[in-house]
Amino acid sequence: MVLVLALGDLHVPHRAADLPAKFKSMLVPGKIQHIICTGNLCIKEVHDYLKSLCPDLHITRGEYDEDARYPETKTLTIGQFKLGLCHGHQVVPWGDLDSLAMLQRQLDVDILVTGHTHQFKAYKHEGGVVINPGSATGAYSSITYDVNPSFILMDIDGLRVVVYVYELIDGEVKVDKIDFKKTATMHA
Amino acid sequence: MQRDTDILAPLGATNPSQQPSLSCCVPTCRSRSAAALLPEPSRHEAGAAFHLLPPRPSRSFPMRKKAARVVPEWLNSPLWSAPPQAPASPDPYGADLSPPPPPKPQPPPTPTPTVPPPSYEQAVGSSRRARGEAGWEGDGEDEDEDSGGAALRAHLLSDFKLALSKKVINMGELRRLACLGVPEGGAGVRPLVWKLLLGYLPIERAFWPHELQKKWSQYSAYIDEFLLNPSEKIRRFEETKLLRKKELNSDKIGLLPRSEVTNEEHPLSVGKSSLWNQYFQESEILEQIDRDVKRTHPEMSFFSTKTNQESLRRILIIFSKLNPSIRYVQGMNEVLAPLFYVFMNDPDPSNSASVEADTFFCFIELLSGFKNNYCKHLDDSQVGIRSTLSKLSQLLKRHDEELWRHMEITTKVYPQYYAFRWITLLLTMEFSFNVFIHIWDAILGDPEGPPETLLRICCAMLIIVRRRLLAGDFTANIQLLQHYPPTNIDHLLHIANRLRGSVAI
Repeated sequence: MVLVLALGDLHVPHRAADLPAKFKSMLVPGKIQHIICTGNLCIKEVHDYLKSLCPDLHITRGEYDEDARYPETKTLTIGQFKLGLCHGHQVVPWGDLDSLAMLQRQLDVDILVTGHTHQFKAYKHEGGVVINPGSATGAYSSITYDVNPSFILMDIDGLRVVVYVYELIDGEVKVDKIDFKKTATMHA
Repeated sequence: MQRDTDILAPLGATNPSQQPSLSCCVPTCRSRSAAALLPEPSRHEAGAAFHLLPPRPSRSFPMRKKAARVVPEWLNSPLWSAPPQAPASPDPYGADLSPPPPPKPQPPPTPTPTVPPPSYEQAVGSSRRARGEAGWEGDGEDEDEDSGGAALRAHLLSDFKLALSKKVINMGELRRLACLGVPEGGAGVRPLVWKLLLGYLPIERAFWPHELQKKWSQYSAYIDEFLLNPSEKIRRFEETKLLRKKELNSDKIGLLPRSEVTNEEHPLSVGKSSLWNQYFQESEILEQIDRDVKRTHPEMSFFSTKTNQESLRRILIIFSKLNPSIRYVQGMNEVLAPLFYVFMNDPDPSNSASVEADTFFCFIELLSGFKNNYCKHLDDSQVGIRSTLSKLSQLLKRHDEELWRHMEITTKVYPQYYAFRWITLLLTMEFSFNVFIHIWDAILGDPEGPPETLLRICCAMLIIVRRRLLAGDFTANIQLLQHYPPTNIDHLLHIANRLRGSVAI
């Protein structure tokens, strides 16, 4: 039972001041084992805050990140799953599922986590699953101003993943969940 | 203090040759006893002519007399020295022991089943007389002791086996035998004896399989209920409810369907009823249990194996969940360890599958008498640990007022400094493994019940080292009591037995 927090596109301090208070009250240290961040934090203080939630932190570089040392893509293995991480501004057209599927095949991962569009999405294709956690602060994106703050928490348990989607809609936190299982045919 | 040194002088007219061994204690009393013994008239109802009476043949506790402040005669004997001061006097023990209070001593060395409970001293005493030696510290008699001891042990073992083979176990008989201690080579006997003494197995042998089956299935139910983490629980819950209509293994491509989360059942929830929240709140206790299990008896390889540690861990977790009032307290692992060890080493193969379940229920039974000692809220109340410690203090005061006064008032060595560990861990840290298992035989077997027996044994531990305690100051006494010296266990249990009958305050 491994809990993995995935979030990104915070754009602090340029486009948003901080995470919404309701999100911050839920995120306490000690519960989460890994954090993966798609990018665009943008400053070191956010990095330190995430580090305080969980020491195992993985970040990829977004186009506005002030720390240039983050990698462009990252892969890691958690339990039975291989996760891939990328900000997504490199994949053109932005948010296009076929292109992201190409990236996923390139990285050879079961679950690909990308951001940049600031919209939550969870999509399954024969190569695997693509998840976009959206923007955790609700910052405006290059495409639209209409953004709901969101992030996801994955519960990886053997061959099964339960993705809990946390969204702030009209000031209230709404939680949904998505279930999926890894099959042998998921990727060649 | 003058008055106190008076009471050290023997009550009866005993020969002065017995006294030299007390010389290291309070030197001033020698000069007093050398003179004619003129006891204060208030001390003894017999009055001034007391010292002319012959030594009293009956051993009666001074409690029965009005003068309760007097140190009993048997306590005064030099054999209560901590090892190894070989007494210069000839056979003080034999002289003291004749005749024990209730029935007359029996010539044959083996105790007959019809003798009532305090026959322990009689059995040991008669066996010692049969071997005919002097004193406990018999250094020169090793071979004699051994052969006599071996015969006694074999006989005791066969007594045990006889008692256990009956269709309806006679608990009184079993308790009497248990107080003598299961002898070495009794590894097959001890698990069964303990299970019976703790009330885990019923008395009628015919009911055993049924009872055991019931308990084992109950234990597996507990495992299922308490040991799953939340994601597994939720998955099982959903599987039973058949909520998943779509086959997850489908090759359908497209947006993944989202389903609503009910009742705040998500990992970050702070709701009281949320499984996840409860899980994270208990994780602190689980960590504590983990740490303690890894530290249990590191010197024994038995407790370093992963499987044994896992079993201990499971038992403690389930216990802490079933008892939310006391949860887990550090030290419970030490109380659990001997039970587990004894049951695991049961040569009887039919029990091996269920060792964990047996240990779990016996652990509950054992702890039920001591539960109040672990509950923080009850600390200062009538039934908590403080009151238990004060009971010990009162017990010591009753039996050995001089020592009590020296400890509590002069040196201010209060029971909470040393006896806390003795009582909460049931003496597991004071003696080596085999030794305290032997003591546990007596604690479990005594009809008065484990809490009272434990207090008596603690008092006996103090009395055995009384000479060193009386001579020591605060630091020395604390040092001594916190690192209790190895001592003869039969001796200890014998004294504890003598203290019987005056526990309840």
